[in-house]
Amino acid sequence: MADYAPVDATVDNLVTFELNGRTVSAPPGTMLVDAAYAAGVEVPIFCYEPRLGPPIGACRMCLVEIEGMRGLQTACNTPVAQDMVVTTNSPNVKDAHDGILELLLVQHPLDCPVCDKGGECPLQDRTFRFGPGKSRFVEPKRHWPKPLELSSRIALDRERCIRCFRCVRFSQEVAQDGQLTMQERGAASEITTFSGDAYEARFSGNIVDICPVGALTSIPYRFVARPWEVTNTPSVCGLCPVGCNTELTTREGDLKRVTGRDDPNYAVEEGWLCDKGRWGYDIIHSPTRLQAPVIREAAGDRTASLEDTLPAVAGLVAGRRVGILLGGGATLEEAGIALDLASGALAGAVVSRLGIPAGGLSALRARPSADLGEIDEADVVVVVGGDPAAQQPVVELRLRKARRFGATVIGAGPRPHALETLGEFTRSAPGALADAIGTFGAPVAAAANPVVLWDEADLAADPAAVDALDALLSGTPNARQIELGTDVNGAGLQALGISTDGVLAAIADHALDALVCVHADPLGAAGRTAWADALASFDGPVVALATHETATTARADIVLPAFTMWEQDGTIVSMTGRAQRLRPGAQGPDEAAAGWELLVALAHYLGAPPVYRTAAAAFAYTAARTPALAGLTADVIGTEGARIGTRPDVSDGSRGVAEGAGLELVATHDQFGDVQTADSHALRTAFQPPAVRVHPATAAAGGIEAGALVVLTSPIGRSERLPLIADDRVPEGVVLAPLGAPGAPVEGALAVDRHRIRVRMERG
Amino acid sequence: MTADQIRAHIDPIRHEFAEPRSLVLPALKFAQTEKGHLTREDLEAVSAATGFSAAFVESVASFYDRLYLEPTGTRVVSVCVTLSCMLRGADEVWERLCDREGVSHHGGTTGDGRITIQEAQCLGYCDRAPCIQVDADETVGPMTPESAGQLVDDLRVAPAPDEFWR
Ligand code: SF4
Ligand code: SF4
Ligand code: FES
Ligand code: FES
Repeated sequence: MADYAPVDATVDNLVTFELNGRTVSAPPGTMLVDAAYAAGVEVPIFCYEPRLGPPIGACRMCLVEIEGMRGLQTACNTPVAQDMVVTTNSPNVKDAHDGILELLLVQHPLDCPVCDKGGECPLQDRTFRFGPGKSRFVEPKRHWPKPLELSSRIALDRERCIRCFRCVRFSQEVAQDGQLTMQERGAASEITTFSGDAYEARFSGNIVDICPVGALTSIPYRFVARPWEVTNTPSVCGLCPVGCNTELTTREGDLKRVTGRDDPNYAVEEGWLCDKGRWGYDIIHSPTRLQAPVIREAAGDRTASLEDTLPAVAGLVAGRRVGILLGGGATLEEAGIALDLASGALAGAVVSRLGIPAGGLSALRARPSADLGEIDEADVVVVVGGDPAAQQPVVELRLRKARRFGATVIGAGPRPHALETLGEFTRSAPGALADAIGTFGAPVAAAANPVVLWDEADLAADPAAVDALDALLSGTPNARQIELGTDVNGAGLQALGISTDGVLAAIADHALDALVCVHADPLGAAGRTAWADALASFDGPVVALATHETATTARADIVLPAFTMWEQDGTIVSMTGRAQRLRPGAQGPDEAAAGWELLVALAHYLGAPPVYRTAAAAFAYTAARTPALAGLTADVIGTEGARIGTRPDVSDGSRGVAEGAGLELVATHDQFGDVQTADSHALRTAFQPPAVRVHPATAAAGGIEAGALVVLTSPIGRSERLPLIADDRVPEGVVLAPLGAPGAPVEGALAVDRHRIRVRMERG
Repeated sequence: MTADQIRAHIDPIRHEFAEPRSLVLPALKFAQTEKGHLTREDLEAVSAATGFSAAFVESVASFYDRLYLEPTGTRVVSVCVTLSCMLRGADEVWERLCDREGVSHHGGTTGDGRITIQEAQCLGYCDRAPCIQVDADETVGPMTPESAGQLVDDLRVAPAPDEFWR
């Protein structure tokens, strides 16, 4: 349980002390509450939350008796000591529990029957277990208008607040957004923001999880369900390659809530989610969600049942030269079955993935790697390229934590970003990261425990930087690396040896008769111009297996509606190489199915039924034939995940030479700028509409003022019209443009393999 | 007030504060001297001058009675209501003064906007109880309901101070 810190009793020189008459050991420095919890004794707490930094002893709930110390002591900020004699169940302690709980409830409205937290509320539970059962307070209680909307996503009921400061500490210490504070004092104290402004932050939802009472609630979840009528399923967030461990709350087959887990995965997200991961699931019910198969014929589109559609798909692809294109979020099961099809029922099929070529990055990926949790212990953290705060959000919290623990944070890259205030960052020109990497050699070599984070897209476009970074890592054996990846299951698809080469070239060579896209939207992805050109002269059938309408489903001859990652079983591999399991927390549309099931059914209709019938069996079958997945099964992965082995070296393209003339295009990805956010009702106030950013001098040189609409034209294609923002943190001669925005406005100007591109910027 | 003005005030005293957060208080007190209370802009200026978030700065300001987040009267009259003063009749001074000036017994600002009356805790003038302090000026006492009324009348006609130290 996140309330108590895990205790590692395997270390040497344990401290031994007496707890309620028993002899108990814990490592030195362990807080008494944690040592007791590990020994099976619950000392009640409210303000203590080990993930928020040093304990503050604010609520006094954790009082215990310690022999030789006057009065009762707070166990949350008292470290264990050799031969200490501790009692947590004496009449004195019971008296203290009664007193503190009576006091905490003095102003509390006791409105559990109408409180969303009721049934899963630490205050309720601990009052039942440890409290007096009666209050002597008969005076009128304090009243506030309720609830107050802290933001469009979080409601604050000030009457229920016990002033434990957890939310404030999260905002000030963990997320460091600085927005939440306690104002006034004494009985008038209240949680608020500056002048009552909305609490708009990237990680705001975590305060709902850590509030030990019903004071902070999630607005989309208010009055929606009761703890005893829901099921909670451990799963993984599939909205970015970090792979945060989540819990899905289901009521009557519908997903009602996504939270961090009570038992956080300390190796990954430590229980914190970003607001997109928490509220982005609205997209399940988006109007663009595919509800039933669509068969597109000369006479027009018609919807059909899966039962009729799957044989039709089989008929279209049987015996033909097929290309199977996997999106970066396709699961290991889906990809594994695609590979099976290509070696069986659809022998000779070409399988490739959308995404950044792995060629050139394999050496870096094979260097000793770390989980995100290991950033905590680093003394030097280097960020090479990228914008982790926006692209791999939860990484931001890890870096802030490392900084809090005293790590030095340094970095370089072409984009200005939110983490640059953590240390010394230099702005490098695109494709010129190697120089900056050279300067990191000394600090990394001097560090005991250096961790290097590197951005997949930036490094793939900069071979000199890859060489420099590889030299740096090989020269410092204690350094570990973490890839800031781009695709949700990019690492998993690489583990299967699937390259980015193949399908597009085969279409261009007229070597294919049919195309099957599995969660892939080539007509909406980076390089979509090349795909559009290729598909324009492709007269074979296109089958799109997808969750939502996309440019590709619009072009497809048959559309197969698939379950989303909140609705299906599957395995995805995070950017740090951790295989983790998706589990369904919602029932998908009746005429849709999990992608892996659709592909298995297709194999049946092709007359080659596979040997597996469940996702777990499909995974086991794939893992057994994949060296990087050796030894992994659904059970081994469990709820915590397991690390995969070294990915095979796939040489699919080397890049680095910039094409075109003019401004260098640097792609960005805003955390709240993508389709998921645009489609989420809960996140509507967070949505960042797409815009391009340049240095004011660059704008002036082009004779374009901020706010004007511009179009970027590369040798490959054009962007849509986007507003121009002048930002003096952007290097001159560079234009920053967002990927993933609704309608894919920038993707058309980029190359399929994401090599460096220069563009002309004109008023549009 | 601007962040630069606040910086000019706190820079010379920075070395006196081992804990950087402590500087927020003198910065707030100084920022308040301009208008007698702190506006959103003042809080943002203090935030910029001290490096602490505006929300934190506001929380500090909200904690202290002598930092005002709402406009006050031109002069602030603080009537001590702690033990020594109470024993010597502060309750009567307080209530009669509030009634005379037409504000509630929780204190408040007079209708002409000239005077704010508020309760204060022990002002350290127990030997002259019951006592009253005007802004951050010298504390006076012992007071009677009549002398308190006279004090307020005098303040009403006195010129407004150049700077509002409270
Ligand atoms: S709102 Fe919740 S987390 Fe914040 S101080 Fe109150 S009880 Fe604690
Ligand atoms: S950081 Fe990524 S994986 Fe984690 S919650 Fe946010 S979107 Fe999901
Ligand atoms: S839990 Fe120890 S004082 Fe709050
Ligand atoms: S009690 Fe009023 S000055 Fe001390």
